[in-house]
Amino acid sequence: MKLKQLLKLVFINITQNKVRTFLTTLGVIVGTATIFMVVAIGAGGEARVNEQYAKLNVGTIIVMPAARGKVADPLTKKDALLFQESENVARAFPLLRGNGSITYDNFSTNAGFQAIQPGFQDSNHLTVQQGRALVEDDEKKKNKYAVVGAELANTLTDGNPSGIVGRSISINSRKFEVVGVYNPVGDSGTGMSYDDSAFIPYTVGEKYLLGTRANPTIIVQATGLETVQSAIEDITNILNETHRAGGAEQFRILDAGSRLVAAQESARTMSLLLLAVAAVVLIVSGIGIMNVMFVTVKERTREIGTLKAIGAKKREILGQFLIEAVVISLVGGVLGVIIGFAAVPLLKYFELPALPSISGILLGLVFSVITGVFFGFYPAWKAAELNPIDALRYE
Amino acid sequence: MANNAKCIIDAKNIVKIYQNGSDELKVLDDVTLQVFEGDFTAILGPSGSGKSTLMNILGCLDLPTSGQYLLDGLDVLKASDNELSGIRNKKIGFVFQKFNLLPRLTALQNVMLPLLYRGISESEAMERAKQKLTLLGLEDRLTHRPNELSGGQQQRVAIARAIVGNPDIVLADEPTGNLDSKSSQDAMEIFKELNQQGNTIVIITHDIEVAEQVNKIFYIRDGKIYNDGGKGVG
Ligand SMILES: Nc1ncnc2c1ncn2[C@@H]1O[C@H](COP(=O)(O)OP(=O)(O)O)[C@@H](O)[C@H]1O
Ligand SMILES: [Mg+2]
Repeated sequence: MKLKQLLKLVFINITQNKVRTFLTTLGVIVGTATIFMVVAIGAGGEARVNEQYAKLNVGTIIVMPAARGKVADPLTKKDALLFQESENVARAFPLLRGNGSITYDNFSTNAGFQAIQPGFQDSNHLTVQQGRALVEDDEKKKNKYAVVGAELANTLTDGNPSGIVGRSISINSRKFEVVGVYNPVGDSGTGMSYDDSAFIPYTVGEKYLLGTRANPTIIVQATGLETVQSAIEDITNILNETHRAGGAEQFRILDAGSRLVAAQESARTMSLLLLAVAAVVLIVSGIGIMNVMFVTVKERTREIGTLKAIGAKKREILGQFLIEAVVISLVGGVLGVIIGFAAVPLLKYFELPALPSISGILLGLVFSVITGVFFGFYPAWKAAELNPIDALRYE
Repeated sequence: MANNAKCIIDAKNIVKIYQNGSDELKVLDDVTLQVFEGDFTAILGPSGSGKSTLMNILGCLDLPTSGQYLLDGLDVLKASDNELSGIRNKKIGFVFQKFNLLPRLTALQNVMLPLLYRGISESEAMERAKQKLTLLGLEDRLTHRPNELSGGQQQRVAIARAIVGNPDIVLADEPTGNLDSKSSQDAMEIFKELNQQGNTIVIITHDIEVAEQVNKIFYIRDGKIYNDGGKGVG
């Protein structure tokens, strides 16, 4: 029999039992929709991580006190200069960090502030959307100027930061003039959000805000991703030299690249996990198909006998029932993809990043067809192997 | 019957034994029979005598335990599974007691089916199926499904399906068994007519009235075949 005729026969059998066909496809619909959404969520998650870390300098190394509060032998500006002498280090900047109440126009919020040297801005992709950045002169003259991160500016101005430059804010009750607002940079890789911080000159932070409690962190830029490990070794050696009292142990050395890799890996692990769930759903739906096909073969035993009597070959019977299973699962697959598409806005509503893709569609459809072939084969084979006389006698 | 007619069915010493655990049931016991081109033959016997078993073997649906069977000169016992399918498709037309039409197909589609399994194009199969259904007076029932047809009409569809591929032989197992007497008689008239047009027909029946309408009768009892009413071996 020609394939086209076989397909017609399958079409007649499927369409004349629409309820059965629909019930059988349900599992495949759910399975395929799940696969499609999983792939979309996976892609969305990875895209989110990549976006988050897009501005991250992967060669960044953070040297910070291991414990909170006062350290016996804290890091100093000099350490930063010493680090910079290592051939594996491009630049190193001391950084003072604090937390406190930031007030603007009678509105107060709790946020971080960071005292930085001007060069820090360049190496961390901090560019201004309004006003100007901090400059060497501010550092020298200890100007009480501040540049505000994009998100903090939004928070302080209730979403309308255009007027903030030139006005003053107070950080822990000390007044600063806002000279600029940075563009958003996403995750800094330093454990503190730049977008949600206020930045002031390093010397000003030392003098007014943190004083003797100043306990700097040093942000180091390795010469490249591949020199990060060597730079960390150099830094450790320097710290052991210069901080004899506690040595390198009192400091934590983190590198941002490994944070990115970890985040990417966890997004990928999540995708795989969800994919496994989808696979289980499909296997269950496949067993459903197999059950229905067994019942179908049993119901049609006498028909199969008749087909054999009028000359159907084994492979034609096998083909007919296999195609029937595959068509049923493919119908489920197509419906599943459509439902998956429809669910994307819903996922976004629940803040799950979903990115529908061609590969998600293909993966869903391929899996549904594989399910049909795999679980349809055994019943179809049983049908093909039926003894014609037994089949004809079947009541 | 002309002596120079071609031998379509040439079965010799056919034995069929069903093994039931340790019990052996000899359903066909050394059956020898010949059917020639143009014959209109009946195999008559009581229920359980082995008629259907014999027809299944003659129709290449089953193989004998021992014996020899040539169909149109072809050694059936040496044929592969696929070849047997081809033989059933091209050389044999079956008519069953319960019609055995496919319930989801229309009358026309049912009759087209043997031709489609032969690889004939849809348009040609449709043309030939229509022609046979018209011959049997069903030209206005082409798109009806079996459950929309009477028993007599269903059996006529089944006969059309049996002859649509111009087989060498039509094998009918109790074709009137599920029909009322009027429809039975109609069916017998159709078989006679088809035989007069040159078709070779074997009707298997337990009904003496049916058997009386053919040209040649084989009697079967307890798996043994006779051609003279059971008084002596044929
Ligand atoms: N598959 C089988 N297994 C065992 N016995 C069978 C089988 N098929 C038929 N028989 C037995 O063979 C005998 C003849 O059956 P059958 O050929 O159907 O008779 P008929 O068609 O003349 O009524 C019966 O006794 C039946 O029970
Ligand atoms: Mg019988």
